[in-house]
Amino acid sequence: MASAPEWATLTDQQVVLLARGGREAAYRELIRRYERPVFALLFRMVRDRELAEDLSQETFVKALNAIDSYRPEFKFSSWIFKIGNNAAIDHLRRRELDTLSLDGSPHAETPEAMQATALQIGARQESPLDTVEAKELGGAIEAAIGRLRPEYRSCILLRHVEGRAYEEIAELLNLPLGTVKTYIHRARNELRLALAHLKE
Amino acid sequence: MNPVPGSHLSPDDFDAWLSGALAPDAREHLDRCAECRERADAEREIVTLLGSLPLLSPAPDFADRVMHAVALPDPFSLRSLAGIRRKLLATPKAAAFAATVAVLLVGSMTASIVWSLGHRETLIAIGSWVAAEAWQVGWVALRGVASNLMEQPWYSALRGSLEHPARWGTLSALASLAYLLGVVALRRLLAPPTPRVAHANL
Repeated sequence: MASAPEWATLTDQQVVLLARGGREAAYRELIRRYERPVFALLFRMVRDRELAEDLSQETFVKALNAIDSYRPEFKFSSWIFKIGNNAAIDHLRRRELDTLSLDGSPHAETPEAMQATALQIGARQESPLDTVEAKELGGAIEAAIGRLRPEYRSCILLRHVEGRAYEEIAELLNLPLGTVKTYIHRARNELRLALAHLKE
Repeated sequence: MNPVPGSHLSPDDFDAWLSGALAPDAREHLDRCAECRERADAEREIVTLLGSLPLLSPAPDFADRVMHAVALPDPFSLRSLAGIRRKLLATPKAAAFAATVAVLLVGSMTASIVWSLGHRETLIAIGSWVAAEAWQVGWVALRGVASNLMEQPWYSALRGSLEHPARWGTLSALASLAYLLGVVALRRLLAPPTPRVAHANL
């Protein structure tokens, strides 16, 4: 019986090399590693589950079909986030969204469509009370993120949700380092002001 | 009451504080300035809140949908040739270079064919000479290898051991077994991975 590579022990660059060799399992491993962070970023950028799935799919298809053009001296995560962020920004430039869809897409016209596009909160809550509180607080911050300017949104999500370094964000978004810092400071400030009422 | 030392913290100072790298003088200010303390606590609260946002996942069939639209590379397909052609014609400079190489290749091949047609006797003479020389060199090399082999101390023992037909049989069986083991080992090395995929932490 053939032994499979221990995927967990391989770096992204090593998995990319296997993918370039035409191994489907390597492609699937890259998707498995990044589908959640890319989808989460895009969902919080566009605030529509269905659209975020479409943009995530577009991101992965574009990246994996151009896997030969990936340069291993850069992080694969930066590369795929860059493609995803560009897809989201392009979309937001075409269409302006200004309301959060914790209960579903603002463009959903039926209850089924709202349910289908609603944000799916992960299992971090432990009790119904916790669930309500977490949803209230989580909903408030999701709403506040949704009201940020798209460029602030990208920066704050990459910094404090994805844990990327300032330098990496600057490279990823093609922005000067100082601008990234300013955007993040302003975004944090806006979020602080937006959530101030919850403390009262 | 003692005045608070230093100026209020800058956004960069708050960043440094969040990452636990605040300079000592700024730290001293923060410890004694209620305004900065309140701001720093609020910043930390926001960062904590952002870090605890729920995990989101796309639909379970997401990977299948992506893979349906991804073209796996096949080095033997015509797509590779199309890719090479695209690269060759990507810029005017590359296209000019490719055209020059093509003209040189076709030109030299045509000249070669024309010359060959006009000098058939010369070609036959050159061919015969090259064949005779190659045969002579090959024969000398073969004799050299053979005599070298026969001069080895183990040659006579090996020859003696192969005189009996049963020994030939044993040797053949061992060689076949080694071949089979080699094939099995090669198959294990080249086989694709199973669908079991270990989960990496992100």
